[in-house]
Amino acid sequence: MTYPVASPVAVTGMGVACGLGYGKAAFAKGLFETPNVFGVLRREGREQPEDETPFIGVELPDEPETLPPRLARTTTFPARVALRVLEEAWADAGLEEVDPERIGLVVGGTNLMAREQALAASRYADRLAYVPPRHGHMFLDTDIAGLCAANFPIRGFTLTVGAASASGAVAVIEAMRAIRCGDIDICIALGALQDLSAYDLHAMRSLGAMGSERFADDPGRACRPMDADHDGFLYGEACAALVLTRENFATPGKIYGHLLGAGHVADGSRGPEPDTQGQQRAAELALDEADLTAADIDYVNGHATSTPAGDEAELETYRALGLTHARINATKSIIGHGLSAAGAIEIAAVLAQIAEGRLHPTRNLETPLDPGFGWVGPEAVPHRIRHALKFSFGFGGIDTALVIAAPEDGEGRKS
Amino acid sequence: MDSTQIAEMIIAEIRETVPELAGETMTAADSMAELGVDSIERSEIILATMEKLNLKIPMVQLHGPKNIGELADLLLSKSAG
Repeated sequence: MTYPVASPVAVTGMGVACGLGYGKAAFAKGLFETPNVFGVLRREGREQPEDETPFIGVELPDEPETLPPRLARTTTFPARVALRVLEEAWADAGLEEVDPERIGLVVGGTNLMAREQALAASRYADRLAYVPPRHGHMFLDTDIAGLCAANFPIRGFTLTVGAASASGAVAVIEAMRAIRCGDIDICIALGALQDLSAYDLHAMRSLGAMGSERFADDPGRACRPMDADHDGFLYGEACAALVLTRENFATPGKIYGHLLGAGHVADGSRGPEPDTQGQQRAAELALDEADLTAADIDYVNGHATSTPAGDEAELETYRALGLTHARINATKSIIGHGLSAAGAIEIAAVLAQIAEGRLHPTRNLETPLDPGFGWVGPEAVPHRIRHALKFSFGFGGIDTALVIAAPEDGEGRKS
Repeated sequence: MDSTQIAEMIIAEIRETVPELAGETMTAADSMAELGVDSIERSEIILATMEKLNLKIPMVQLHGPKNIGELADLLLSKSAG
């Protein structure tokens, strides 16, 4: 297969929120210090009866509200976090002087407000006549993009995309494409916070996707991507915004890295089952677009959820692509699975590691399922990333891969 | 229950819904729109007041009042009916 080399896109701003805290500084610090942030989920609407195995995962730390109260009362939790993360990314990239009509926004994620919608449904079940009119728009996924554009001068377009756990990555891919097609110069990709309800958590556990029965009494050990004792993914609240910029478009923001190529394919699965052939195809498309081969990849940030079937299929993908020479870690081991936000915040993790010149540890990777790879285990390792490969997969047969280059390696190898 | 009491209920809901107005002096002669209450907020305030009055009527029947006092009068007449 040969494809024309597509122009790279630079990342010039970031904003993040996860269990490690709000902001890039807390994120970078936490990625390398790897404090345990896993515990029993306590947010209203996620409670479990005493006699049932508690849900383990990661929740954002409480922060003082910064929005005006009049606005705050009309917004959902994912929307408030999105505004905060966007504010950080916006300031970081220095977008004040950019023509608003040349700025777009792609929000990744669907069914984002499930927890608060479930709470509202039960609160108003016996008095439907008095359902607040506001509920007619505030639980729409598109409310996040609307709120962002109402509070920041984004006048190119807004778009909300759904790709299950690959939503954040697909938001980045769609933002890249929007810049390449020429309609805009700046596109913000935002992986929104997926606010799960107890109902969703039960369903994910029943489906066999979510852990952890095995480490119910030891939450810090529950999330173990690529480890022999893994028993399912662990949810982690997260949100991240990346400011993508046309190459050579002058903005004050520093360049964190370049997106050289992307692959996004359908593998034909309907449900949660992974498909290694689809994953490989996504990686090959991304590498082709970047004009690189697997041999040029020195670092892989896995999708690596900690589910037995998912981790095994992904290992097969690494083997088939020939990635045994590359260093590999799993960001979910530190912050949990952000679902709709995962792809975006994990790309932020790749960029943070490029900036640090180190690779973050993989928590709980004690017995690698396949020791034949260059795992980053419990200790961070010095490593200058040149070309990273980032995987993100979603239920419904969605496979994505992105090739990310360090600021000084923005050109594809053969171009 | 008289119109004055209903107007007070409406004003209490305005303070709840629009925190910026919490400290404002408001009377039955004030119009919500002129106070800066937007249309969705006005609907929320009216619906919350209706719930306090245990009144179930379509919102379209409440169009027309020019100020809080007139809205209170209308809600009182609907409650009585």
